[in-house]
Amino acid sequence: MQPHDETPHVPGPSLWPVGFAVGIVVLLVGLIISWYITGLGALIALIFGFLWVRDLTVGTALTHAEEVPPERPTGPNLPAPAGGPAMPHASPERYPRSKFLELSTLGVGGLIGGMVTVPALGFMVMPAFLKQAHKDIDIGPLSDFPEGKYVVATFMSDPSEGEVSRRTAFVRYNGPGGPKNQPSFTIISNHCAHLGCPVQPNGPLNNKGTKEFGNVTLIPTISIAGFGCPCHGGQYDTEGNRIAGPPVRALDRYSYSIRHGRVYLGRPFSVSRVVGTGATAQIHEWRFSFPGEHVNGIESWLYPVQPPH
Amino acid sequence: MASDRLVERRRVFQQYKADVKERGKPFYPYAMWHDTLMSFVVVGVIIGCAVVWKYTSLLGKLYDKPADPGTINFVPRPDWYFYFLFYLLRIFKWPNSVFLGTIGIPTICLLLLIAIPFLDVRFERRLLRRPVAVVAACLVVVSMGVLTYKGATAKEALGSELIAQVPHWAAKQGFTNNPQAIAGAKLFAVSGCLNCHTYLGSGGHNLGAPELTAEGAKNKGIDFQVRHLTCPSCVNPGSPMPSFAGLGPARLNQLAHFLEASKGGK
Amino acid sequence: MATRRMTRSEQLQQTILYPLDWLEERSGLVGGVKYFLFRKVPGDINWFQTLGSATLTAFLVQATTGVILAMYYKPDPNSAYASIQNITNHVFAGWLVRGMHRWGASVFIILMFMHMGRVFLFGAYKYPRELNWIVGVLLLAMGLGEGFTGYLLPWDQTAYWATVVGININGTAPFLGPFLAQFLQGGTYINADTLSRFYSIHMLLIPGGIMALIGLHLYLVIRLGVTSPPWSKEAAGTGPLADASTNGAGPRSGLVNPRPRRSAR
Repeated sequence: MQPHDETPHVPGPSLWPVGFAVGIVVLLVGLIISWYITGLGALIALIFGFLWVRDLTVGTALTHAEEVPPERPTGPNLPAPAGGPAMPHASPERYPRSKFLELSTLGVGGLIGGMVTVPALGFMVMPAFLKQAHKDIDIGPLSDFPEGKYVVATFMSDPSEGEVSRRTAFVRYNGPGGPKNQPSFTIISNHCAHLGCPVQPNGPLNNKGTKEFGNVTLIPTISIAGFGCPCHGGQYDTEGNRIAGPPVRALDRYSYSIRHGRVYLGRPFSVSRVVGTGATAQIHEWRFSFPGEHVNGIESWLYPVQPPH
Repeated sequence: MASDRLVERRRVFQQYKADVKERGKPFYPYAMWHDTLMSFVVVGVIIGCAVVWKYTSLLGKLYDKPADPGTINFVPRPDWYFYFLFYLLRIFKWPNSVFLGTIGIPTICLLLLIAIPFLDVRFERRLLRRPVAVVAACLVVVSMGVLTYKGATAKEALGSELIAQVPHWAAKQGFTNNPQAIAGAKLFAVSGCLNCHTYLGSGGHNLGAPELTAEGAKNKGIDFQVRHLTCPSCVNPGSPMPSFAGLGPARLNQLAHFLEASKGGK
Repeated sequence: MATRRMTRSEQLQQTILYPLDWLEERSGLVGGVKYFLFRKVPGDINWFQTLGSATLTAFLVQATTGVILAMYYKPDPNSAYASIQNITNHVFAGWLVRGMHRWGASVFIILMFMHMGRVFLFGAYKYPRELNWIVGVLLLAMGLGEGFTGYLLPWDQTAYWATVVGININGTAPFLGPFLAQFLQGGTYINADTLSRFYSIHMLLIPGGIMALIGLHLYLVIRLGVTSPPWSKEAAGTGPLADASTNGAGPRSGLVNPRPRRSAR
């Protein structure tokens, strides 16, 4: 690395080059917009260019300008100067510690952090808990459900989402003993109440009697003695009560409505147990909870608040 | 004022640094050669596994069927390195203890793992003088190995898989020429009987129901079997087995024939 | 300043060294790499201590194959399965990259456990390496989390139902469990958001955490040094104060009998 020359060859501060640059810019802009502006730009560039060149060739800078000392390295470049404090101790202190500045820096920094993170976190977390809309699903006419036998019904809970919203429920028509003498149905969800595995009906299916329409498939069963879960061995009876294994409550059920002779599935809800069978069964209903969560008893204190479902 | 123990620790560490400076060897190439060779082996194993997976069936299928959220025919399993947790869930089969098996024990183990440097503050590193550590390590390895193996071999009775076994059952029990028994065997496979009972090695045994492989050898008779299937708790008071009366007399008859023909397998 | 012409080899050396010097002057990085490469390690380290770098290699294989797979994988429930079939059957060497990623995950987890076991049995979690051990346990947890979130991505039956169970397992945690489960699922049931969310966690969130912690882990290993095997007769740390009859434990080193507490004196 060669040291800089001692003789300064940079001229003093002057605005002529700036004016020249402005002229060139105006000239180029004028090429796009209009020839008059080009002419104006050329004129400006010429004037300032002339002034600039005159300064350079005359040899002296503007008479009242001061010479600017050339840039010079202040010390050896490498290795970095060893030793010495990072912040040189100056006496007296030119910049005394200012609590106000310190606090304001942290405060504004915190504010910026909040302004960026809070909406981002909200975006990440909130949508899972909002807008849990629910549409009633048509699963077929009353005539498709023989009395006393379960039908395995597969449907889409939200057709606009596609296959990912496919669900299965076990639907049994119990006869006319429902509220206000409406038809009574037992509609059981196929998600095990232990950890959500798909439970299987314990009994042969009548695959030849399968009906399909739209997104719905109905497979009648011949006879079912209950439901069993293949993951960890949970067993349920025909009303969905837990008989054996780790499930913490009975199988979830769907509410339903009958409109124009067709069955519509409503919101699911959780069940602790069912006393009795069929249309006269007493269903101990609870808010819908995820599998594995107790809804009653002492363990339900572990889950005091449920997120909006 | 640092405690004696801390002062000693610091001294030993300074000694360590001095020893390494004086008698150590440079990382490159000595240790790095070992590292590089081992890494080469690792990459070779990974590529080998990929090749074996593609061209043989030793490592399982390349893919399963597409996801079907409405299935009633599938036995879920996690990836093999979670089998020990999966089997833990089968051990904790009392509903009141479910959260222990899911969250409780794994969290406690994780916290214990993090706490190890604070639980063991002795200087000693030689294995023979660390009995607690060695025994604990052996117990952990053995138990995780056993849990993983049990998780891998845990079988559930899945109707569609069991039906495929009917010809094998017929051959072993000798009822291949008995159409009633064959029909009964198929009903047996799909009606969830093997969720509680065991038969010729299939089925669930942790629910306490009797083994049925040699049911026919007890010679209880077709009538008894039909009566029992129609109302199990009438025949065996206190039995948790549900009633299969809904299958109808014809099918119950077939099941009875199947049970009576199961003499124990040759 | 050399006043004679340099030989060919010296000229070659100068050419190679010049860019390195340029880099070193402006950043100091070359010095860092030299320190890492030529630092001293105990003379008696053995093959078990290669498990750590083997784990790192497995992670790098996962990261590389993962990035490549991400160029062909479509994280949407309607096209995920088909994109995996495409990768396996049609893309050039797609079956190899996918296979390496899938089995690399198992190898990574096995190596992590083996490395953890080796560190435990060597007592290399003791002072002053406690922090490194804690970082390692966190890495283990994150590695298992990678396995869990990545398992959903092929969107086949095993993937879907194993994830249902995994999310519900999280849901059984007391108090916040239901919220955690619903957050992971992106709703009350698994839906299209779940796959996107797991993809983001698997590709960005956890790998970022793993890479940061690996950086910290390696920094601590370099700073604190590697231990000698505990059975070594020349274990570093026993030094000149060691007495041969106590198998390398010096009279004041406390290796055999812990020093009595202050209060007991």
